[in-house]
Amino acid sequence: MIYKVMAKSEFKRFTDALLRDNTSFGPRQVDSDSRGNAVYQFLPVTSSDDVAYDYTSTASSAKHFFLPFREELSRFVFRDQEWDQQITYEANPIVLIGLRPCDISALNILDDVLLNGHFPSPYYLAKRKNTFVIGMDHLPLADCFCKSMNHHTISTGFNVFCSDIGEDYYVSINSSKAFNFLKEFNTRDPRDDDNCRLVERRKIISDSFLSEVDVTALPSILDIEFDSPVWEKWGNKCLNCGTCAMVCPTCYCYSVEESFETNLKSAVRHKRLYSCNLVDFAEVAGGHNFRPKNGDRLKYRYYHQHRGFAENANQQICVGCNRCGRACLAGINPKDVINDLRMEKESCLTNISSSPGRI
Amino acid sequence: MPDKHFVIPRQDINREDFTSSIPDFNRRSEFLKTDMGYKCIITNIVRLTEQEKLFKLRIIDTLERNIFRFKPGQFLMLELPGYGDVPISISSSNSNHEYIELCIRKAGHVTSALFNLAEGAHVAIRGPFGSAFPMDEMSGHNVLLIAGGLGFAPLRAPLFWINEHRERFLNVNVLYGVKEPSQLLFTYQFDEWEKISHIVLHTIVEHADAGWKGHHGMITDLFKDITIDPETTYAVVCGPPVMFKVVCSYLDKLGIPMNRMFVSLERRMHCGMGKCCRCMVGSTFTCVDGPVFDYWSVMNLKEAI
Amino acid sequence: MKHLGYTFEKLKIASFDFTCCEGCQLQLANRESTLTDFLELLDIRNFRELSSEQHDDYDIALIEGSISRQDEIERLQAIRRQAKTLVAFGTCACFGGVNSMKKKFPLKESIAEVYPGMPVQTMLVKKICEVVKVDFSIPGCPVNKEEVERIMVCLATGSHVTLPKHPVCVECKAQLNTCMFELGEICLGPITRAGCNAVCTTGKTSCLGCRGPSEEINMPAFVKLVKDRELSLDELQEKIAFYNAFDGFNSHET
Repeated sequence: MIYKVMAKSEFKRFTDALLRDNTSFGPRQVDSDSRGNAVYQFLPVTSSDDVAYDYTSTASSAKHFFLPFREELSRFVFRDQEWDQQITYEANPIVLIGLRPCDISALNILDDVLLNGHFPSPYYLAKRKNTFVIGMDHLPLADCFCKSMNHHTISTGFNVFCSDIGEDYYVSINSSKAFNFLKEFNTRDPRDDDNCRLVERRKIISDSFLSEVDVTALPSILDIEFDSPVWEKWGNKCLNCGTCAMVCPTCYCYSVEESFETNLKSAVRHKRLYSCNLVDFAEVAGGHNFRPKNGDRLKYRYYHQHRGFAENANQQICVGCNRCGRACLAGINPKDVINDLRMEKESCLTNISSSPGRI
Repeated sequence: MPDKHFVIPRQDINREDFTSSIPDFNRRSEFLKTDMGYKCIITNIVRLTEQEKLFKLRIIDTLERNIFRFKPGQFLMLELPGYGDVPISISSSNSNHEYIELCIRKAGHVTSALFNLAEGAHVAIRGPFGSAFPMDEMSGHNVLLIAGGLGFAPLRAPLFWINEHRERFLNVNVLYGVKEPSQLLFTYQFDEWEKISHIVLHTIVEHADAGWKGHHGMITDLFKDITIDPETTYAVVCGPPVMFKVVCSYLDKLGIPMNRMFVSLERRMHCGMGKCCRCMVGSTFTCVDGPVFDYWSVMNLKEAI
Repeated sequence: MKHLGYTFEKLKIASFDFTCCEGCQLQLANRESTLTDFLELLDIRNFRELSSEQHDDYDIALIEGSISRQDEIERLQAIRRQAKTLVAFGTCACFGGVNSMKKKFPLKESIAEVYPGMPVQTMLVKKICEVVKVDFSIPGCPVNKEEVERIMVCLATGSHVTLPKHPVCVECKAQLNTCMFELGEICLGPITRAGCNAVCTTGKTSCLGCRGPSEEINMPAFVKLVKDRELSLDELQEKIAFYNAFDGFNSHET
């Protein structure tokens, strides 16, 4: 990693050049909601002026640039009675600007799940390798809980990361490509006072969190609480709409579908991002559903997010961005569900007879 | 500087990107293609029962055929272009490097289409995937194989293995239960196996018909016929979920250690590679951690059986 | 066409309209990019929007519209006798559709309002499945041509015909739309069957549920959401009743 300090105006010149020459996406305001708050999404940008640098959070994450909602996996071309299978893993280079530390953490988690297992995904890798990521730090929103998940700072997974230190950006450069580009612009090595300003900025960010989720021993609590009534309670609220998984930066579960094209001359195998909250996620041939109840499915998503699966060494994959919580129409959010789960167990402390160490 | 360009060059992915984790089945001369199947010709189709057919497949490309090796208990994804792919456990001997046999029940959309195929048609396979039965670990012991219905199909591969390495095992008993006599699979093979290899088959049907002379009842009724020494026995169980519960708890009571009982689970899989999460049981994947689990692991998995 | 050893036959198809606007049938002639391929799948036996020929030897009958006259019942029963596969085609056929609005008023009043001074024979609207057996449904007002194509390909190739079981939200989120509820509107997306690619909400119009309920909808939670956001329950009721597609789901639950 190389650190440089760059005037914000100079940084804009840098991004202008980059966004002009490459297919680029950054945060843009798309709507104002009924309470007057701006709604943002990652959309195409062609100059620095298009980018809403002061944005709060995008409604949907940047996941779909790497895992499209619908993606062609392979194609079968028929001729006479024979067929050929065709696969391409090509991706065109893109620039993603304005990602938050939690968003970049999410990419690192996806790397872990999709590239480090037994069967690394070439589809994902092609896109990941061809994406130039520019991260920006930000002051947490009231409901961000990434600090609890330890994803409020980031040290890898990006090309450039900018910390806002007043008139300047403190720039972490994590790729030779980015370094070579930046050579063409005015930067300087950080001085003592720059480093102080960075430390101060980080402290302000760290002290600004209003939401906290206690995740101590959460995987084990989830295992113990498998049959907790909490799941039914929150499951009864769930609309089974899958919104949480769609906006989530790390939910990667999917469905594979194959169909003939209308001309019957070829067939395509598609992958479609799916959600474990959708009613037929665990349905098998013949119609048996292994998770027939709302609560079962909701629980499953929390298990995946907060307990982790064997494939990624049982690591939690939630980064604490709370996009799911904001998007959920039924008001289901990780903070309340997890606290509820903890409370449920703690409430019994007063009811049981004396246990060792508590007389 | 304004005329200077900042175009990010395209980077292709290459073999080196995967050197740390190239899966066995993709050891190919060309490029790593996780979703690319081996093209096979269906050389033979035998109707076994009303609902089941045995498909004999041969990988067309010599190089690919020499790469494809599997262990008893593993499965593959069988692709019928245009219709999709389904996980099917391999029912043939893993020492047969020329052909692969798959016992398929007409159950869903892909298998229905497969049943319309004629010999000579081309399909594709991906794999092999998943865990296998620990044949070496089981060596030197009595083996008890218990199958219910189509659960016999995944047990055929370990049975072949046992038959080919018969001297390594003590007593081998197969308990096999079906609903009706017409549903019995592969029983013809036992004539030879019983005579030459002393692999003893015990069958039972739930609903007997007029011609049925054998046992009549539930699979657990067969336990009366055999003596099980829990100290020296390995058990392999495969069948519908309800059977796992009954049989495994029976064997557990007999005193067979949980890590000497093996089950093969079934879930709907979409990728076979531990990515899509459709076949999750608790926190493990049926496709990469399974389908073969020891009973201790299954006991620990919520929603498993 | 031959495929892996077996041949696909063209689908002998006919399309009929009952009480409707014929908009769904018109969709069949839409989507020019694949229109010739699509027509190549079909052997059209009777379909007045696409062909002047009329034959009665069809296997598949697409039924558009709902039933609101006695003579329609007889005509439909005759079609049922001929068709091997009868498809409820479009929202009116599947649920009754907009025509069902009639049930909110006394029949006489409706006739006097719409056809003043004219003798009109009409009855309360029936959906197709209330009159004859329906083999499967393709909902939508109008139907989504892409989905119709997919289903016709399934029929031609002997694949299972399926509809998505999940709600529109999944498709709406994939379009990166802002949730209509966030914009202060009642949207039936969370309880409506997907498959339309969220075309209405992408155009910033709330979903009115033309594709009917998705599977296992949570109506109490949906009503609670409308209340919690202090939106009008009357408006909710009106939207849910619009296509008559949520018959049997009580939106007054608390």
